[in-house]
Amino acid sequence: MDERPVSLTLKILAGVMFAFLLAPLIVVLPISFSGDAFMAFPPTSWSVKWYPAIFANSKMTAAFWTSLVLATVVTTISLAIALPAAYALVRLKPAGAEVLSSLFTAPLLLPTIVLGLAILIVFARLGLLATFPGLVLAHLVVTLPYALRVLTTALATLPIAVEEAASTLGASPFTVFRRITLPMMKSGLIGTTALCFLVSFDEVVLSIFMTGPRISTLPVAMYHHVEQQADPLVAALSVLLVVLSLVVVLVVDRTSGLAKTFVK
Amino acid sequence: MTDQSTAPGQGLNGAAGEGFLSIRGLTKRYAGFTAVDNFDLEVPKGELVAFLGPSGCGKTTSLRMIAGLVPATAGRIVVGGQDLTTVETHRRDMGLVFQSYALFPHMSIARNVAFGLEMRKVPKDEITRRVKEAIALVHLTGKEEHKPAQLSGGQQQRVALARALVIRPSILLLDEPLSNLDAKLRDEMRNEIRDIQKSLGITAIFVTHDQGEALTMCDKVVVMNEGRLEQVGTPVDLYERPKTAFVASFVGRTNRLKAVAKDGAAEFAGQRVPAAGLSGPVEVMIRPHRIALSPAASGEGIAGTIARAIFSGDILQYDVDVGGQIVSVELATRGGETVLAPGTQVSLSWRPQDIFVYGAAA
Amino acid sequence: MSAATAIAPALPPRRSRLGLIVALLAPIALINAIGFLAPVLNLARMSFYEVEPTGAMREVYTLATWAKLVTDSFYAELIVNSVSVSLGITLLTLVCSYPIALYLHRSSGTWKTILLVLVISPLLTSAVVRTYGWIAILSDSGLVNNALGALGLPPQRMMFNLTGVTIGLTEILMPYMILALLAGFGRLDPRIEEAASTLGAPPFTIFRRIILPLTVPGIALGCLLCFVLAVSSFITPKLLGGGRVFLLATEIYDQAIVTLNWPLAATLSILVLVIFGGALVLYTRALRAIL
Repeated sequence: MDERPVSLTLKILAGVMFAFLLAPLIVVLPISFSGDAFMAFPPTSWSVKWYPAIFANSKMTAAFWTSLVLATVVTTISLAIALPAAYALVRLKPAGAEVLSSLFTAPLLLPTIVLGLAILIVFARLGLLATFPGLVLAHLVVTLPYALRVLTTALATLPIAVEEAASTLGASPFTVFRRITLPMMKSGLIGTTALCFLVSFDEVVLSIFMTGPRISTLPVAMYHHVEQQADPLVAALSVLLVVLSLVVVLVVDRTSGLAKTFVK
Repeated sequence: MTDQSTAPGQGLNGAAGEGFLSIRGLTKRYAGFTAVDNFDLEVPKGELVAFLGPSGCGKTTSLRMIAGLVPATAGRIVVGGQDLTTVETHRRDMGLVFQSYALFPHMSIARNVAFGLEMRKVPKDEITRRVKEAIALVHLTGKEEHKPAQLSGGQQQRVALARALVIRPSILLLDEPLSNLDAKLRDEMRNEIRDIQKSLGITAIFVTHDQGEALTMCDKVVVMNEGRLEQVGTPVDLYERPKTAFVASFVGRTNRLKAVAKDGAAEFAGQRVPAAGLSGPVEVMIRPHRIALSPAASGEGIAGTIARAIFSGDILQYDVDVGGQIVSVELATRGGETVLAPGTQVSLSWRPQDIFVYGAAA
Repeated sequence: MSAATAIAPALPPRRSRLGLIVALLAPIALINAIGFLAPVLNLARMSFYEVEPTGAMREVYTLATWAKLVTDSFYAELIVNSVSVSLGITLLTLVCSYPIALYLHRSSGTWKTILLVLVISPLLTSAVVRTYGWIAILSDSGLVNNALGALGLPPQRMMFNLTGVTIGLTEILMPYMILALLAGFGRLDPRIEEAASTLGAPPFTIFRRIILPLTVPGIALGCLLCFVLAVSSFITPKLLGGGRVFLLATEIYDQAIVTLNWPLAATLSILVLVIFGGALVLYTRALRAIL
């Protein structure tokens, strides 16, 4: 597109800023292999002991499983709820579809600290605090807007003539949805799954309000751990989490093209 | 307006309501405007009918109402004696070929074509057989396992056709299927579609804005304008006996001249042209190649002066100034004629049946 | 004359289609109501309650809690602090992000995709992970201080104070700013720059007089986004500040969980939303002035 060489100043500036941008993530890797009991950079000794230490830490492993199960449940429910909603808004086009769409994506506009507090107060009265269902519900509030956004975009860009063709060939509306619409939405569905999973898995502020001694998610457990003592355990965990995110992203890219799904 | 071609509500043989496809009073109104206004039509079985008109005339809306994709505001659609007006699309048993082909991108050609049969719960081996036949019919044997994206535009078009035909629908609907093809392919496909339709004897409706397509392919043409039916008739009817100014100018080329009518005749360049029942401003239309041109000396016809002479190989066109208006005359070149220079006095004449007079809008 | 024989089944009437729409939208509407609408409305309501000195909450409407914000100097300072710090962070983020965004805009092909992935990748990890990375860099035994020590320079206190929070938050917000800037760079056409060049403008002038002004919408959007995220940021100030940096978000948390003064926490939350609203108004005004 642009044959002009990029100026050296820009290259250097951009490079420096990129280093700044990626610094924390880069730093975390060496620390996870630190042999020290405290966090120091650079580490005075090296060891892989912090990785197995994760699994020895019962709080962390419990929190990890909770996060995993929670993210899976939340993702599944998000798809089950957002897909019909997207279909209704895009294909059935009720009056006020725009308003409804804005309303359903509004939770994203709210800072999580405010949303967390608001949900805390209401859920306390409903007895949902520090419960798994309560966590699921809280996470759904933030994953549903994302799911709805991605799915409505995917559905809206589908050429409707193809669905009409299926209809003229004798397919009932539900068959059209099942055999034509859904397969054609594949990349949108995969993108939504990945997005909801990561959003739920990494969610921390809402979860802080919604967790307690009996139940905790991994980010919250890590938060509390760092609050008290910042040791390399968290670094090892972070590395694992970054790898997990990368795996998810790679899967999405392989199956449907990352750039296509998110960068429109 | 003389009633030479079929009036609405009557089949070709004149009997009312005898069509295989019977459309009565079909109307589609949106807030603020009417897309289709009181559309009546009878189509006998096995006929290929064109809906012809400029964009926005309501031809596609009418087709989609027949298919059930658009609910009608008023009117009835009856096929083979069955009132289908309120039946859902997927129960109407019609084949629709879309302008954009609308093939299922995630299915192979074979599965695309098989889809309609699957919906009808046809047994597996019969599906395989009929799909094979349909694909052979459109000359795509060997491409069954390809995906639509791997095929060219013309090939995708043929798959769309096969998919619509394999289910043996009662009616075949085609929505400007050739618009996205290049000229040469269009001509090829025109003939193929016509041949297939004739050999299967299937009733078909073909929407197009291209009058050449309509005239060359179809048994009957329905000319539409602004939601209303202007005229229904065979290509010859429409061309030789246009009932309205719109039809006369839309189908084939024509001169449009202004005159004033009084007492049943219009005064035009010193000649009186019959204009039954009209008075006031009128439009006089005559086709450029139905005008005979001779040197002024002959004294017949009306006098004019050549304003421009254009030689374009097949045709020699003269723009002749007649009483202030330009009349275009087209002559087939025969070789050896002298091209008359601008300023030459000439005399124009025509047969009475080749001149049409219509009331003009104020 | 009418030849209709069989009566065909009718299309589902409007009413049952409405029923279908309601059924499809009900679940999401329900979650939205329980998890979003009701809580937020309740929050607004709660800001008008008050907590007695005994700690009990009086469910009577009063402006007492709001009054506290105005009268108590701690809160006045808190609000001013939060807003000014966020503005500063926004500016810093802009300066740091602009080169990256511009460079990205000028790249193409696989290299551009790689860079984009690198920019977005931090967003895929939790705020805790990224903040932890900053702790590793900024703490007394962290990267920077060890490097300073190696160079013979005095150590700097960068944690448990505003400096650390500013640095960390700036970096954490950069991906958002970069993406917003990129979106705004759509108006940049290399041919405009070439035209300016042929007319005699040196590179820096082109940047100052052509590129910068054209990218203002992207800048405005990025600034709005980052300001809003900075004002409501919780994890980073809490961890990097170690409980010694007081900003709106940390105070909301403390009042809600530690002091259990829900009305006050609610009031502060509504205040955050008001600040949001103000920022949005400024943003739309600015855009209108530019475009």
